[in-house]
Amino acid sequence: MDPFATLGFAHRYDLDKSELERRYRDLQQSLHPDRNTAASASERSMTLRKAVEVNEAYRVLRDDAARAEALLAALSGGPGQPAKRDAADPALLTEMLELRETLSDARELRDAARISQLADQVRSRQRDVSVALASAFGELAAAREPGRLAKVAELVSRLRYYRRFLDEVAAFEDEALS
Amino acid sequence: MALMQIHDPVAAARPIGIDLGTTHSLVAYVPLIGGPTTVVDCDGEALLPSAVQYRAAGEPLVGAPALRVARDFPEDTILSVKRFMGRGADDPETRRLGPYRFATQQGPVVRFSVAGERVVTPVEVSAEILRELKRRAQDELGELGGAVITVPAYFDDAQRQATKDAGRLAGLNVLRLLNEPTAAALAYGLESKQNGTFAVYDLGGGTFDITILVLDDGVFQVRSTGGDSQLGGDDMDRALADRLLQDMGTEPAAASPAQVRVVLSAARQIKHALTDNEQVEAEIEPPNGAKSVAVRVTRTEFDALARPLVERTGAVCRRALRDAGLRPDELDGVILAGGSTRVPLVRSYVAELFGSEPLSSIDPDQVVALGAAIHADLLAGEGERPDVLLIDVLPLSLGVEAMGGVAEKILPRNTPIPASAAQTFTTYADNQTGFSLHVLQGERELARDCRSLAHFTLKGIPPMPAGLARLEVRFHVDADGLLKVSARELTTGVEQHIEVKPSYGLSDEDVERMLLDAYEHAETDVAERALQEQRVEAERIASATEAAVASDAELLAEGEDQTITRALAELRATARGQDARAIQRGIEELDRISKPFAGRRMDRSIARALAGRDLSAVERETAHARGIEPHLGGGDRDK
Repeated sequence: MDPFATLGFAHRYDLDKSELERRYRDLQQSLHPDRNTAASASERSMTLRKAVEVNEAYRVLRDDAARAEALLAALSGGPGQPAKRDAADPALLTEMLELRETLSDARELRDAARISQLADQVRSRQRDVSVALASAFGELAAAREPGRLAKVAELVSRLRYYRRFLDEVAAFEDEALS
Repeated sequence: MALMQIHDPVAAARPIGIDLGTTHSLVAYVPLIGGPTTVVDCDGEALLPSAVQYRAAGEPLVGAPALRVARDFPEDTILSVKRFMGRGADDPETRRLGPYRFATQQGPVVRFSVAGERVVTPVEVSAEILRELKRRAQDELGELGGAVITVPAYFDDAQRQATKDAGRLAGLNVLRLLNEPTAAALAYGLESKQNGTFAVYDLGGGTFDITILVLDDGVFQVRSTGGDSQLGGDDMDRALADRLLQDMGTEPAAASPAQVRVVLSAARQIKHALTDNEQVEAEIEPPNGAKSVAVRVTRTEFDALARPLVERTGAVCRRALRDAGLRPDELDGVILAGGSTRVPLVRSYVAELFGSEPLSSIDPDQVVALGAAIHADLLAGEGERPDVLLIDVLPLSLGVEAMGGVAEKILPRNTPIPASAAQTFTTYADNQTGFSLHVLQGERELARDCRSLAHFTLKGIPPMPAGLARLEVRFHVDADGLLKVSARELTTGVEQHIEVKPSYGLSDEDVERMLLDAYEHAETDVAERALQEQRVEAERIASATEAAVASDAELLAEGEDQTITRALAELRATARGQDARAIQRGIEELDRISKPFAGRRMDRSIARALAGRDLSAVERETAHARGIEPHLGGGDRDK
């Protein structure tokens, strides 16, 4: 499934979020099971399948990292290109290693302030990567050169690493909260 | 509609909304004119105490009469049964302060031993409460349509399934399970018509929910939800009861069932009185005829006991806000639901947490049932609110147990529902023909810390070398938040059969047996019921098809109008007969014939939604330009 096609968006990383919300709600107004209770069995199952697809596409497009992955998959001809995925930049790996160490030290010390500072830092890097991705995807769309594809793939994997890091922070916060 | 009147001279069946609460339950409906309203009993009381007393002979007592005798029959009177829904017999809840006799300490379902040598499950107890509500609604409304039953948003799959089973057992046509906070938001949102982002703080007798949602022109979209399905006013009562027992010189662990019941009930009354008083004095009469004991509780003392419980809600609220990507000051309002939000400490805590005074203009005991009634009305398509839609989310992540006992998430929490996701697995041994799968729900990293939902065994995998088979396991969550699992083997392309061995709750056979035992389902009724249901279904489909043909005639292909009209007329003729199977075939035939037309209708509404509302006129013109002949619906239709 191509989430961009499902919600009628062009293959671009930039996305008008309010238009996404509008389309999503308008689609669910006719597809959601609650709107089809009086329909025939085949109509109900047809709209239900579509409602599920729209929910999934919406979930992917709303999320910067997931949207980047989906766009890369759409542009490089299908999902799951393991060779490209694993070729992570050594600089990125070093950066993540350092972030992880700082996080695990702060966790040990139960230093919540340090952890939230760290999370803010990563979020700010995330925003920078997101901006860079928008132009990198633009360049790739203009001409599909291997160098440009590699650049995009590198940024996407960077976003993925940041996301995973922030998920870990969130899991730690949940534990601390409960 | 003409057909309905032939078979059913009574007024159209009204759909109902039910709040099946921990301490109280109630039923509401939307009348033909005016807003939603609750059904009251002969004393003018809307709240039915969620109490069921089993007797040595005869039907159990439900509600206030059961509550009155609770102290004399503490073990036979089940209160707060909701806390046991979907729970295993070894659940910690069974070891908390309470007077019950449990039939077993193990197994997938809690079972109470009650009078008359009976053993009952929480589903059966809840069904008694639902039956009583159904009776009340029938007395007021006559024929009932379907029912929407509310559940805490944080209820897991097992608890939801148990609630739905209870509805079936009570002979209700359960249209939907609706999350309680979403129901409250629906009641408020339609009253105020104000767009914005809201939090619903719902603290009931036994459950806590927080839901963050956006209301935009009639669409209620849940952004995140969180909660604790074992936290509520009951826990405040228990904390206070513990202290009262100590005041009376009794160790809580050594108290008799009757004593526990008396003290829990006194604690509840004191808690209620402390809402309007700074200090309460009460006399507690021990059940053994001993001298009554005077106790005095100040609000400060009570607050000190309740505070740790209330503070547990704070962490849950902060997480829900974070999941929604919001700060407290970005909310446009906080809605209160659930009786426990009457406790002054809870109100001040919520105001402090969100930095604004919460909304409580609708009775927090009734708001959920009123919202459920509105939703039932919407689902039945009777109301005058064509654009209202609720989009809810999955409250707890769903996943499977992976290697090393780690929980692997397949659908994360706060995913909009209905939703579906698949995961591919492979075999680890040569010629392996079976594959077992452990389905989990929860947020914890390790499988053993998550809720175990089911163990599936996939069988019939064609023999092949290890690692070659590709088993796609698909999770599907419906609009009730209920999970279904399917699986297929991808290399052979064959849909594989799954054998489900539920590791929790009642099996389908259990529920079927209970249904057969229930008096409303006496064998003679079954055939008549099936016929009636098929007739209603036939008319529903027929009118829906008729309406579709009338409104979207331009999408009909050449000659399609005639074939659909013919199938419609045949279905209606068959529905006048006595053969339920023939009606079923007629429904299927109409469905088959109108399917391409239905597909065109769906495609067009998708195109419109993607293009924006204002472009629908353009769409219509394009349809004509493509050469599709507009067929005027009414012409030769058989009225």
